[in-house]
Amino acid sequence: MSSDILLRFAFAIGIIVLGVGAYRLMNQRLLVRAKNNVFTLFSTLPNKPVIVYFTTPDCAPCKTVQRPALDQVTNLLGEKLQVIEIDAYERPDLARRWGVMSVPTTFLLDARGEARYVNSGVARAEKLMKQIQAL
Amino acid sequence: MTSQILQKVDHSALKTNQIIIISLNILAFILNLPVLAAFVALVMGIGSALKVPGFGIVYKNLLKPRGWMKPDVLDDNPEPHRFSQILGFVFMTAGSLALFIGSSVLGWSLVWLVVALAALNAFGGFCVGCAVYYWLSRFQLPGFTKQPPAGTFPGMKPKAGVSV
Repeated sequence: MSSDILLRFAFAIGIIVLGVGAYRLMNQRLLVRAKNNVFTLFSTLPNKPVIVYFTTPDCAPCKTVQRPALDQVTNLLGEKLQVIEIDAYERPDLARRWGVMSVPTTFLLDARGEARYVNSGVARAEKLMKQIQAL
Repeated sequence: MTSQILQKVDHSALKTNQIIIISLNILAFILNLPVLAAFVALVMGIGSALKVPGFGIVYKNLLKPRGWMKPDVLDDNPEPHRFSQILGFVFMTAGSLALFIGSSVLGWSLVWLVVALAALNAFGGFCVGCAVYYWLSRFQLPGFTKQPPAGTFPGMKPKAGVSV
């Protein structure tokens, strides 16, 4: 009886680990996709951290939360950071290439133009700052 | 995208519901208790009939009043979430019936399917049932009238935070 429970427990853990792994893999693939498409935005390396911000004109949280958060980060870091804003309606090709499924979505690129973090949904200023500091 | 009137939907209640469904189903599997899976199906069925998240009562009466979980109220359509719970109820009922008639593999597979979909919703912010609802809405099926909130991929959680 108890060995049966242990076996089932191990099986459940295995499935959960597989699920978590699949989720992380999906995020990783999104970052690889961004890395492969970084030269759709730059002709040369940015040499400073970059936030690529996907938005649309009718996205309310973009206006009320994401834009102020980006402004806050930009005010703090000034010239040390570049923010590239992309309207997903105007540039559906870029949204598709970068694998963007909802707005706002922010990608954080390091100075070598490598995508290191992706935030699907609102990312507050504190979170963005932490991610930038970790670049 | 067409403009439409959205309602306030507390996603914390939905998330609580999903996490309890996940926990009880995994417990049912580990302890080999089909009756627990049937209980989950029953609660989901009652929730569907009352148009509320089945285990939302735990959030409403325990987690929210004590401040253990904060409201996450978003402008959203409640209908796709209700449809999603009905789908979950159907899968759970089928799974429970399969377990009671001795089809363990089929029964537990259906239970795990519900666990996977609930986890995708709770932790990934993607509601498969809602995506199915919006997909049926595109084909103008009667009763499926809502469109995804502007700027939101069908099934993805809307991102605006409104405090209450």
